[in-house]
Amino acid sequence: MNDNNLKDDVWRGRAAFPPAPPASPALIEAVGKMKPVRTRARLTGFLAVFVVAILWPAFTLLTHPMRRDLAALPLAWVLIGAILWAGSFGLPLAVAMIPSRHQVLPSVGRASLLGLLGMVMLFLFAAFWTAHVPGVSLRPEDLGQTFLESCLACGGYVLQIAAILLLAGFMLIRRVLPVGGRPLGAALGAAGGALAGLALHFHCPVASTAHVLLSHVGAMALACAAGAIIFSALLDR
Amino acid sequence: MDPEAREACEVMGRYCDGEAAAFQRLYVLLAPRVLAFLVGLLKDHAAAEDVLQLAFMKLHDARANYVRDANPIPWIYTIAHRTCLDELRRRKRSRVRLTGDGEMDRVPAAHFTGVAEDERQSEGDDEGGATEALAALQKLPDNQRQALILTKLHGRSVAEAAVITGSTPGAIKLRAHRAYVTLRKMLQKNAAGPAVQKRVA
Repeated sequence: MNDNNLKDDVWRGRAAFPPAPPASPALIEAVGKMKPVRTRARLTGFLAVFVVAILWPAFTLLTHPMRRDLAALPLAWVLIGAILWAGSFGLPLAVAMIPSRHQVLPSVGRASLLGLLGMVMLFLFAAFWTAHVPGVSLRPEDLGQTFLESCLACGGYVLQIAAILLLAGFMLIRRVLPVGGRPLGAALGAAGGALAGLALHFHCPVASTAHVLLSHVGAMALACAAGAIIFSALLDR
Repeated sequence: MDPEAREACEVMGRYCDGEAAAFQRLYVLLAPRVLAFLVGLLKDHAAAEDVLQLAFMKLHDARANYVRDANPIPWIYTIAHRTCLDELRRRKRSRVRLTGDGEMDRVPAAHFTGVAEDERQSEGDDEGGATEALAALQKLPDNQRQALILTKLHGRSVAEAAVITGSTPGAIKLRAHRAYVTLRKMLQKNAAGPAVQKRVA
C-alpha cells in the first residue's frame, strides 16, 4: 500500500455514482400539488433573534442606574471590556444564524468555537484586569449582600437573558437546521451570556475579580453548557 | 460556485417557484450521488433507497427554508445525513425482524459506490489496489468514514463536510487524517499477510 492508492483521482474514479431509482409515487404526488413558496432571507433569523435578545438588557440599562464607579474607571478598561463582551455576543450569534455566502446552512461548529474563544478571552480579561476604584467601587457588603447573594443575583440575570436568546434561536432555527444542535446551543448560550455580561459591565456595581469571574463569566459558561445540552436533546434526537 | 452547483442553485430556485419539472431535474442531478452517500453510510442498498426517498420528501417539505442563490447541494446532503441517522437509530431500536416462514431473505451487501458487492466482484476491475482501499474504508469508524466519503469520494470541501455533519472544519480534517492513518495500517497489514505466509511455507 502506498499513497498513490489514496490519491484523489483514484477515489473519485471509483466513486461512479449508480443510477438512482425513480422518485416514489408519494413524492411525485407531493411535487404535483406544490405551490410556490417564499424562501428564507439570509439575515431575517439573525435580526429577529438579535432584536428579541437585546430588549431586556436595553431596558435594564435604561431603567436602572449605571454603576457608581463608571466615571472613575479607566476609559480603556471600560471600552476594551465592552468590546470583548459585545464581540462575544455578536460574533457567535451572527455566525450561528447567518449562512455563509452561497450556503443554506450556517456554520454552527465555527459559531461554537467563536463562543468558546470569547469566553476564554473574557475569563482572562476578568481574571487579570479587573478595574477597582478604592472608595468608589462597591463590594457586596456595601450593598448589604453576602458574596454568594451578589453572585446569585448577577448569575440569575445572565441565565435569564441567555434563556431568552436560546428560546428565540430555537424557535427560528429548529426547522432549518437538521444537524448540529449541540454546537448551535453552545454558541447561542455563550452569546446570551455575553450579552448579559455586556449589560452588567455598565450596570453591576460590584467590582471584585471573584464576583465577575464567578457570576458573569461563570454564568456565561453555564449558559453555554446548558444551551449545548438542551439543543442537543431537542434537535439531535 | 462550480457549474454543477450553479445549475443546482438555478434549478432549486425554480423548484421553490413551484415548477415541477425543476424538481425532476434536481432529482436527476442529485439523487445518484445522495444515494451513493447513503449507501456508504448504511452499507445497505435497499435501506439507502428508502432513505433517499425520505430525504427528498423532507427536502420538499423544507424547501421554504432554502436561501435564494445558495448552493443547495451541501444542504441536501445534510438532510440526507440526518435522515440516515434517524434510520440508523430506528434500526438499533428494532433489532428483531419478523418473517412469514422464520427465514430471513439473503440481502446482498452493498458497496458504498452503490453497486452490490456480488456484482462488483464479478466485474473484477481492480485499479492498482484501489478496490482494496475502498473495501478497507467500510471497516473504518462511522465518523472517520463519513469524513473521507464526503471529502474524497463526493468532492465536498472541508467546510461543507463540516456543515453537513454538524461539526467543525478542524474536526473533519482530524477525522479524515485519522481515517487515512487507519486505512494505511489496515492495508499494510493486508499486504504483509501473503508475504509472511509465503515465508512461513
